[in-house]
Amino acid sequence: MIEFKNVTKRYGSKTAVGDASFDVEEGEFFVLIGPSGSGKTTTLKMINRLIPLTEGYIYFKDKPVSDYEVYEMRWDIGYVLQQIALFPHMTIGENIAQVPQMKKWKEKDIDNRIDELMTMVGLDPDTYKNRKPGELSGGQQQRVGVVRALAADPPVILMDEPFSALDPITRESLQDDLISLQKEIRKTIVFVTHDIKEAMKLGDRICLFNEGRIEQIGTPEEFLTHPKNDFVKEFIGSNKDKSITVGEFVSMNSGSAEHGNYPLVDEDAMIEEAFKIFAEHDTVAVITDAGYKLLNRQDVFRHLSEKRGDSA
Amino acid sequence: MTTFLETLNSRKGELLATLIEHIQISFIALLIAAVIGIPLGVILTKTKRTAEIVINVAAVLQTIPSLALLGLMIPLFGIGVVPAIIALVIYALLPILRNTYTGIAEVDSSLVEAARGIGMKPMRRLLKVEMPIAMPVIMAGVRTAMVLIIGTATLAALIGAGGLGDLILLGIDRNNTHLILIGAIPAALLAILFDVVLRVIQNLSYKKAITLVGTIFIVILLVAVAPLLTNRGDSMTIAGKLGAEPSIITNMYKILIEVETDYNVKVEDGLGKTSFLFNALESDDIDGYLEFTGTVLGELVNMPPESNEADKVYEQANAALDEQFGMTMLEPMAFNNTYTLAVKRDFAEEHGLETIGDLRKIEDIVKPGFTMEFNDRTEDGYPAIRETYNLNFSDAVTMEPQLRYQAIETGDINLMDAYATDAELREYDMVILEDTEAVFPPYQGAPMFKQEFLDEHPEIVEPLNKLAGMITDEEMQDMNYRVSVEDESPYDVAEEYLEENNLLE
Repeated sequence: MIEFKNVTKRYGSKTAVGDASFDVEEGEFFVLIGPSGSGKTTTLKMINRLIPLTEGYIYFKDKPVSDYEVYEMRWDIGYVLQQIALFPHMTIGENIAQVPQMKKWKEKDIDNRIDELMTMVGLDPDTYKNRKPGELSGGQQQRVGVVRALAADPPVILMDEPFSALDPITRESLQDDLISLQKEIRKTIVFVTHDIKEAMKLGDRICLFNEGRIEQIGTPEEFLTHPKNDFVKEFIGSNKDKSITVGEFVSMNSGSAEHGNYPLVDEDAMIEEAFKIFAEHDTVAVITDAGYKLLNRQDVFRHLSEKRGDSA
Repeated sequence: MTTFLETLNSRKGELLATLIEHIQISFIALLIAAVIGIPLGVILTKTKRTAEIVINVAAVLQTIPSLALLGLMIPLFGIGVVPAIIALVIYALLPILRNTYTGIAEVDSSLVEAARGIGMKPMRRLLKVEMPIAMPVIMAGVRTAMVLIIGTATLAALIGAGGLGDLILLGIDRNNTHLILIGAIPAALLAILFDVVLRVIQNLSYKKAITLVGTIFIVILLVAVAPLLTNRGDSMTIAGKLGAEPSIITNMYKILIEVETDYNVKVEDGLGKTSFLFNALESDDIDGYLEFTGTVLGELVNMPPESNEADKVYEQANAALDEQFGMTMLEPMAFNNTYTLAVKRDFAEEHGLETIGDLRKIEDIVKPGFTMEFNDRTEDGYPAIRETYNLNFSDAVTMEPQLRYQAIETGDINLMDAYATDAELREYDMVILEDTEAVFPPYQGAPMFKQEFLDEHPEIVEPLNKLAGMITDEEMQDMNYRVSVEDESPYDVAEEYLEENNLLE
C-alpha cells in the first residue's frame, strides 16, 4: 500500500531521514518509533506530503505520491494529530463532515456516515453531534479525531502520536478501542509513537528509527527475541524500565488508607509521575482495585534498589 | 434643559439630515476600509517581510493628524464627500489590516496542519478554518476602525462633507453647548448602533453577512444618489468659512445671483480654513468664495500691505491675486472685519474713551485680555499698538477667543481684542475704540473668483457688485447677532437685508 524507496530528507546540511526503505502492506498496523528527533514524524508527514522529501520515492497505491493531485490524495489518507486539532468553531458533526464534503458526498450520506462512525467509537451521535469540541473530554475529542480521519473511508490512516497528550487511563482505553476498531475496519495504519509499550501493544510490525536511520524493522516478537544491535536492545530495555507503573510498587503489605490526607496516584500511572509528587510529599495514596494503598518514599527506593540488583 | 430641548426642536430637521449624512459617510468608509484591509491582511500573512513594511506604512498614515489629512485631500480630490471618505479609509485601514494579519497569523498551527492534512485547499482552509477562528480578532479591528471613523467623520464637515460635524463645529463657533451636544450625542449613539450591527454581522454565516452588508450598501447608495438626480439646471457653488458672517454673506450672493440670472447657486458654508477654501477654488471644486482683503495679503499672496487705506489694500490684493493665481475679487463691502480693541460701553463712558489713544490716560487701570494670536502678531497686533500709541499696560493675559467675553463680563479684564463685526460685541454691549493711526490693516470682504470663471459667467458680476460699499460694521454685527445668538436662519437674514435696502429690484 505504501512503499519507501531510499527516501532522504535533508534540512540544509542536516539529515532528518536518511535512505529509508520499507513496505507497508495493505491492512497492516505499522508503527514508527524512536527517540525524539529520530525522524519518525518526518517520515510520517512525507507520506501525505506535509513535508516534501529531498531524495527517493514514496509510493501510495503503486504510484509516487508526487504524481497525485496533493489535496485529493490527502482525502484518501486519513490524518490524526497529536494535538487532536479539532476545529473549535465547528460542531463535532461538521468536523467529521469535512472530507466527505470535499469529496462532494450527498448531505444524507454524510449524515449517515457521521452517525455510523460515532456509534462505532462509542459516542452517541444524538448527544454529541451538535456539540463543540471544547465541551468534550480529551479522550472523547481524540475519538472524534480518529473518526474525522476515517470519515471518507480512506484506505490509509496516518496517526502522529495520537494518544500521547492523553492521561494514562484514557490512553490505555483508546489503545484498546483502536485494536478492536482495526479488527473491524482493516485499514492500513501508520502510527508514530515514542512509547515502546504502545508500539508493542498495537503494532503488527515496528520500525525503529535512530538519528534519521532505520535500526530495525520487525514484529514485536522479533524485537524481543532478536534485537539487531545494542541500540535496539537498550531502547526496548530503557523503555521497559520506564514503563514500570506505580501499581508494581504496591505490595500486599502496603497499608490501606483514607485518601483524604495524601495526594492521589492511579496504579496505572508511570512511576515517574509519582516521583514528581514524592519530591513534595513523603507518602501518596495509590488507587487500586482493592481500595487506597499507602506508598512512601522509602518503599519505592527499597524496591528500586532490589530491582537493580536483580538485573545486575 | 429647556433650552437644550428648544435647540433640539429647532434643529431636528438639520439633525436628521446630518445624521443620515454621517451614517452614509461612515458606513461607506468602513466598508471600503474592510474590503481593502481584510483581503490585504490575509495576503500579507503569506509574505512576512512585506507585511512589516505595509503595516508600518499604514501606521505612518495613521499618525497624520486627521485635520491635516483632510486638508491634504483637497488639492487631490477637492471638497465634499469623496475626499472625506478617502481620508477616513486611510485612517481606518491600520486597525483592520493589523488585526486581520494578527488574527490569521495566530491561528493555532496545529489547526492549520490539520486542515492541510485532511486535504483542504488553501481557499477552503482560509474560509472554513482560518477566517472563522480569526474572526473575533478581525472584528475587533473593524470595530476600532468604526469608532475612529465615526469620531473623525465629525471633522469631515470642515471640507464640506456634512455630517454631525456641521452641528458640532457650528456649536463650537457659536460657543453653544447645546448645539455641540446635539451633534456629539448622536455621534456617540451612532458608534453604539454600529457596534451592535457589527456584532450581528460577526455571528452570521458568510452568505447572510454579505447579503446584509450589500443591502445596507444599496439603501445608502440610493439615499445618497437620489438627491443628485433631482439636481438639475446650471449651478455654481459659492463657499464661505465657518461662522455666521460668511453664511449670511454667501446667502446674499446666492439670492442676488438667482434673482438676476438663471443660475442655481449652491451655498457651501462652514468650510474649515482659508487654505481649504483657496485650494478648493484652485481645483475648481467651488466657483467662488467670500474672502477678505487683509487675508489675501497676509495668507495667500504673502505681501505686507503698502498702505492702510482700504482702497489701496483692495487694489494691491487684487493685482497680486491676478498676477499670482489668475483670480479676482469683486468690489468689497463696507464693513471692515479687522482686529480692533473693544471695551464695555459703561467703562468707555465712565472714562471717556473713544479712540485707542484715549487709553493712555487710564494706563494704570487697564487689564487687557487678548487672544494668543493677537498678542503675538507684530505687524498688526498688540506689539504694534503698544508702539504706535505709546501705551504701556501691565502684562496682557492671553486666553481662548470665546473666554474673553466671559472674562470681560466678570471684570477680570476690561480691554480685549475683537473682530469689528463680532456678534458678541452687541451681545455684551461693548464699543470699539477707533484706530486713528490705522495700525490695523483693512479686512474688507468680497467674493473671489478665478478670472476665467468670471469671463465665462459675466452676468453674475453686476448682481454681486450691488453689495459694493454696502453693510456697515454695525449692520454686520447686528446680523451676526441675529444668526449666532438668536438662531435665525442666515438665508432669511440675508434676504431681509437685501429687501430692506432695495437690492432686489
